Amino acid sequence: MLSFIGRSIIQKIITLFFVMVISFLIIHLAPGEPSQVDPLNPKFTPEMVERFRKAFHLDEPLHVQFVYFYRDLFTGKTISWKDNEPVLKKIGERFLNSLPLFIVATILIWTLAFPIGVRSAIVRGGAYDRLATFFSYLLYSIPGFFFAYILILLIVNAFHVPVIGMKTFGLTDVSLLRTGMDRVWHLVLPSVLEATVGIAVLSRYVRSQMLEVEGQDYVRTARAKGLPPEQVHYKHALRNALLPFVTMFGLMLPGLIGGSVIIESIFSWPGIGRMAYEAILSRDYPIILSINFISAVLVLIGTFISDILYMVVDPRIRL
Amino acid sequence: MIVRRILIGAPMVLIIFLLQSYLWVPTYEQQTRGNPERLTEYITASIGDASILNPILSADSASNDIESKVFEGLIDRDKELRFRGRLAKSWKIYEEAFFYINEKASIPHLGKATAPEVVKLLKRARGGYVPVGAHVKTSLDNIREIAIVPAREFLVTRQEKVMGKAAEKTAVRIRVMAPDRIKLILKNVDQDLFKSLSTILGSDYFHSFPAQDYLSGDEGGPDGSRGKVDYAQEVLPATEHNPVIIFYLRPHVKFHDGHLFEARDVKFTYEAIMDPKNLSPRIADYEPVKEVEVVDPLTVRIFYKRLYSPALGTWGIGILPEHLLNSEALKKEAMRIGNDPERFSMRQSSFNRHPIGCGPFVFQEWKSDQYIALARFDDYWEGPPQYKRFMYRIIPDLLTQEMEFYAGTVDSYDVQPHQVQRLKNDPAYQNFSGLTFGYTYIGYNMRRAPFNDPRVRRALGMAIDVHKIIQYVLYGQGERITGPFVKQTDYYNHLITPLPYDPEGALKLLAEAGWRRNKEGWLEKDGKRFQFTLITNSGNDLRKAVLTIAQDSWKQIGVDVRTDVVEWAVFVQERVDKADFDALILGWNMGIEPDLYQIWHSSQTHPYQLNFVGFKDPLADDLIIKIRQEYDHRRQVAYCRQLHELIAREQPYTFLYASKWTAVLDKRIVIRETDAAGNIIYRKITPTKTGNYTFYFNKWIKLSEAPVFSAKD
Repeated sequence: MLSFIGRSIIQKIITLFFVMVISFLIIHLAPGEPSQVDPLNPKFTPEMVERFRKAFHLDEPLHVQFVYFYRDLFTGKTISWKDNEPVLKKIGERFLNSLPLFIVATILIWTLAFPIGVRSAIVRGGAYDRLATFFSYLLYSIPGFFFAYILILLIVNAFHVPVIGMKTFGLTDVSLLRTGMDRVWHLVLPSVLEATVGIAVLSRYVRSQMLEVEGQDYVRTARAKGLPPEQVHYKHALRNALLPFVTMFGLMLPGLIGGSVIIESIFSWPGIGRMAYEAILSRDYPIILSINFISAVLVLIGTFISDILYMVVDPRIRL
Repeated sequence: MIVRRILIGAPMVLIIFLLQSYLWVPTYEQQTRGNPERLTEYITASIGDASILNPILSADSASNDIESKVFEGLIDRDKELRFRGRLAKSWKIYEEAFFYINEKASIPHLGKATAPEVVKLLKRARGGYVPVGAHVKTSLDNIREIAIVPAREFLVTRQEKVMGKAAEKTAVRIRVMAPDRIKLILKNVDQDLFKSLSTILGSDYFHSFPAQDYLSGDEGGPDGSRGKVDYAQEVLPATEHNPVIIFYLRPHVKFHDGHLFEARDVKFTYEAIMDPKNLSPRIADYEPVKEVEVVDPLTVRIFYKRLYSPALGTWGIGILPEHLLNSEALKKEAMRIGNDPERFSMRQSSFNRHPIGCGPFVFQEWKSDQYIALARFDDYWEGPPQYKRFMYRIIPDLLTQEMEFYAGTVDSYDVQPHQVQRLKNDPAYQNFSGLTFGYTYIGYNMRRAPFNDPRVRRALGMAIDVHKIIQYVLYGQGERITGPFVKQTDYYNHLITPLPYDPEGALKLLAEAGWRRNKEGWLEKDGKRFQFTLITNSGNDLRKAVLTIAQDSWKQIGVDVRTDVVEWAVFVQERVDKADFDALILGWNMGIEPDLYQIWHSSQTHPYQLNFVGFKDPLADDLIIKIRQEYDHRRQVAYCRQLHELIAREQPYTFLYASKWTAVLDKRIVIRETDAAGNIIYRKITPTKTGNYTFYFNKWIKLSEAPVFSAKD
């Protein structure tokens, strides 16, 4: 066990280093200049372009830039080119904005997917199962941005209430409860949209796991004992079907920082996905690379945790 | 079974909790009725967030929108696009001109002359004792004072590159013995002054001034005598125009922190722009400034190194408060946050996120990617605006902007032409539209055949039905243009008719140029098919549509056109900057100033420069320089119209259209004014002649009911 952890950590650090190098290269080798440098602006003389490149260390060789960047990142001194704000502070703020969306969406996924999937498995082949299958494929295949527009159009036209942003604008002098509920309302649509694909996928996954377990000998035995079907389904089968899902908790970790580019942009949610997207458009290298680095770290930690969890919950696995 | 109950109950409770929140959210009508404060707040939406709220550092439109509310310039443009005083009450422009006495040149009827003799001659000429032409007479009449600057000696150091070592530089010290110099003070700026004077002093008088003879020291420098002549002309220019602008500032104007606005703030703003540490993107505009002099707290005098007519317009820049940003304040800030004071510049200052200016609105709060909040400034010199608050929301998606508009949480947004069609007939809204200061064009690489033939370029332009493009691609929201100036300004020559849509005529022109149709219908010359690639950048659907239409139109007259849509960064770096294209579709956004130097002058045709089509015309060059140096509006307009005609004749671009902007507002937003008797009157919002509907923004207010205006409003 300990040797596994040690080996795993060393492996992950090596992987992380390669991720750092490759992401740095991809971003720097891609064409384009930071948005502060505007080559098609008549007011922008070549000397100024040079001066900007120098200020951003873009005139140095790549390996020197690499060292500069990660030195600044690890000492917490990286600043965004766009507004000279410290990158970590910006990421922190955005992370807190994305967090409620992520939490509500995750709760929605995990609370809804299980009852839907379990029931589908129990009444396999019935009308409910087919309907559930149809809808999960529908939700899975419908493009997120399109679905978002349809929902927004429907709700705004039918109810004339604002849905964009984190709260209603221009709402002043109202009770705390009201502002709180207003915020909850603004969470509903984006988190439902973020959850749709998750619900569709996870419910299918739950269904197939349940089906597999239901076919096992011990379930047949339980049934043969004469236990009520509910107890068989929810106690014997479900518990065992849950096993693989435990490991998925670890893999959720990177989703924390990834955010959702499309949903956040459409709902003008000031989250981390939108910031990353805008940073890419304006070639704000410090932001892109920092988010990239942090999410790489989270992915690696996530896989590590899920490995450990798997070992803990399933005694059959020994690494 | 408890597990089952939890499995079904938990999502139910969650969903009910989420949905009931709807009941707490106000609808469009409730927002204004139940919340009268909402009427005193103006909320606008923008796609992008501001980057840095400092007028000398920002270059994006969102920052600019906010800066125009928080900061105020010395001047701006009125509804006719003429200059109007803001922080400056008034201003005056005159010129100081200098020339060195050329001791070796021989003046007609006088021979070699010393400074006092030259002064005497000029005074006599001004008095009318020397016969001169009418043109020269105007130049002489314009002279107010003539004086002698006595000879002087000074040292200059010059950074010299060492041969073979590009990075190393040595300082070369040069002793300059400058001869007597004549100083002329002119009532108005006169770019023809020295041309006129040379009819009196001899045509070679200025040209033959031997500047290098007055330089001595470390001989020549490593790059030989050629470098020395150039350098001598830089240190001792035979003639020099120094235009001067004097601004008389408005008294008792306050910054938002209560500090009085004074002349030193103007000087400070200029110095901050020029400070290389600040990396100001506006530096090119102020490079011709020689010196900013504070005459007294309410007067600033700005000297220029050379004639540069766009100079006045550059003083529309927001004035920074010196007391908050001078080196002492910055040093204190650096110490406070533990930064190295030596490396700390205005760019890092927290001022850029909490700006203080003397504009009509006070900055309050900025939440990145959410909103920027401003409140009205009660001590604004022109009287406070009607709205109490100005909110700038950042909504990156166009469709959701529209949805927010319907939901009543924004008052205006970047409305698209097709969205205006939907709202046009709705009685609840008023809409506006006007031409933008920009145009879309097809540019031809004139270095490559057959685009070096103006007949071919004209023929290609005639083959495209621009009218249809405007009608179907722009939904009618655009107008044809014929040249490179802003259509609403006087500089634009309205006498020029746009190219007709005439494929037959195009074929005739091409036949003149030697292109004939072969058996398959393709145009051919010397056995070679007329074939090229038309490119544009991806991400702009309008340009992509134009690309397809142009390709189709040209195919119909037998031109084999390939097309390519390239990602913006690659498009600029690989194609435009390196001039590696046949023809491209692109657009320019322009300022009102008619300075076309970077885009059309023949010196700007190298890689990475903006005359990437390679337009070279000596006549155009001459006009461009003249426009740049002419301070008289009437004459400048005349030159511009000539230039416009010349470019329209040469057709280096096929000028397509200037698109229109559109805006929609709730009808309840009106202009509120108080008349002389103290009665409050309401007026409908009407755009100015140039189409600017926000010109009276400070008088706008939202009412709870839409007022009824009589027909004449």
